[in-house]
Amino acid sequence: MVHVSGVIASVAFRNFKALRNTSLKLSPFNLVIGANGSGKTSLIQALQQLRALAKLPLGDPATVTRVGGSEISFAFDAPHLGVTARLGCVDDAVCDLLRVDSANWADWEDVKVRLATMRSYVFDHAAMAAPAPRDSGARLAGDGSNLAAVLARWQRETPAAFDRLQAELTRWLPEFTGIVLPEDAGGMVRLGLKIGDAEGPVMADNLSQGVFYVLGILVLSFDPAPPAVVCIEEIDRGIHPRMLREVRDALYRLSYPAAMGETRAPVQVIATTHSPYLLDLFREHPEEIVITQKHGHEAHFERLADRADAAELLREGSLGDMWFSGILGGVPEES
Amino acid sequence: MKIAFLSESPADEAVLRILVEGALKEKPTVASAGYRARGWPNVLQVLPAVIRHLHFNTDVDTLVVTGDSDDSPVHTAAHEAPQYFHPHCRMCQLRAVFRQTGKRFPAAHGRLRVRRVVGVAVPALEAWLLCGVEDSVNEAAWTEGQARGVLPYTRAELKLRVYRTERPSLPHEIACAVREAERHRRDLRRLEYDFPGFAALLRDLREPIPEIS
Ligand SMILES: [Zn+2]
Repeated sequence: MVHVSGVIASVAFRNFKALRNTSLKLSPFNLVIGANGSGKTSLIQALQQLRALAKLPLGDPATVTRVGGSEISFAFDAPHLGVTARLGCVDDAVCDLLRVDSANWADWEDVKVRLATMRSYVFDHAAMAAPAPRDSGARLAGDGSNLAAVLARWQRETPAAFDRLQAELTRWLPEFTGIVLPEDAGGMVRLGLKIGDAEGPVMADNLSQGVFYVLGILVLSFDPAPPAVVCIEEIDRGIHPRMLREVRDALYRLSYPAAMGETRAPVQVIATTHSPYLLDLFREHPEEIVITQKHGHEAHFERLADRADAAELLREGSLGDMWFSGILGGVPEES
Repeated sequence: MKIAFLSESPADEAVLRILVEGALKEKPTVASAGYRARGWPNVLQVLPAVIRHLHFNTDVDTLVVTGDSDDSPVHTAAHEAPQYFHPHCRMCQLRAVFRQTGKRFPAAHGRLRVRRVVGVAVPALEAWLLCGVEDSVNEAAWTEGQARGVLPYTRAELKLRVYRTERPSLPHEIACAVREAERHRRDLRRLEYDFPGFAALLRDLREPIPEIS
């Protein structure tokens, strides 16, 4: 198998929230499963902290070691194998120190540029349905709130990307025939979807929640200039189980562009889910599954493919059923 | 004739539809809903309910079901003996579900029961798709390999050969699968000869629909 690298090769945690002492190797695509509060979101928060601190000038290495505090270390994939970054945290929520070791500082500059593009998403269908100011559509907001403006901007400036997204949307949801983005006198863009031969489009207020989640995923998937790293929480939310294959493929389009006939650079994806049906779809790629295990106040990560019995588990039944049963771990603790 | 399909994905269903049409030499009426199972053993779990639903709630007279054999034992001529049942053979298991589920149903919608059409792809549907393209891919090669403990190919390799990528998008998967299935539609004899798990499906399809006498 050809090794395809992402941006971030691994993350190690010490005393960060429930992640007392654990590390995780990251793939180009990572599906993180586990109980609520088991560290899925902490992983994404750690990446956000790295992105925020990487933008600032580095402190004096001598002053950034703090005794007993939380620490998160990152290693990076080729061609930046020589770079490591360590975050020092005041408490288990705020990290304010960054220490970087690099044999070659140009490598760190390069990593920084990529990290700066990183984005995290927790879609909010109500926010996504709201009108958005025309000029706010440069990049999809973390909650998707400027969805209409992003689509309007694509329609104006990158119509090929817009057309591809629209074609994919109408393939996923054949009841719709296209996207409309009327703009009012105040420069606010609204979103609507055309249906068949009906007189008018269905405007955002009357679209179901799932439609917004689908649109959010498609905007990420067809972004003509995507971030280097994308984190998305609850990618199955509001989506019919039979459509989860499409969701998986849309995210694979980011991580494995060549497999989908795309020519741009791969995007590293870290996604979370609670859907056993989505998990079923990763039977052939267990190396992409990360399970967060929580015991009492301590959580750690495990890659499904690293389990000694992974091959047997995959033979014996569906991954979703295995997860629900508790064999894989990543289930809520019962009192 | 009105046919329903129980399959794992839209790509599998597209293939089965083409192969069944090829065998019948005509386009049968197909039940509007494509029934789905989430792989093995889920297909065994949902099959009784699908059979019961079709029997009482629809006028479907034929249910086509296929599974991948994966690592399970392959169905052989010995399994065809009366009363024989191999507990780990997927063909035997699927047939047993049909036998047991329909047993006590009263006739409905003008037929005694929904006709069983069962096939098992060894080791996976992609092997059927490669039949005639790669001579080394056939059921006997797999069975021999199983006996020797050296498998001739893996499921992942078969998929890679059909789709040319480890992660095909669904439309790409359907397009590749349909292209190969269309190749078979014109002449099913090679597939029938090389894959007894498909020949069994054809034999079922040639059986008459159980009519009320
Ligand atoms: Zn058998």
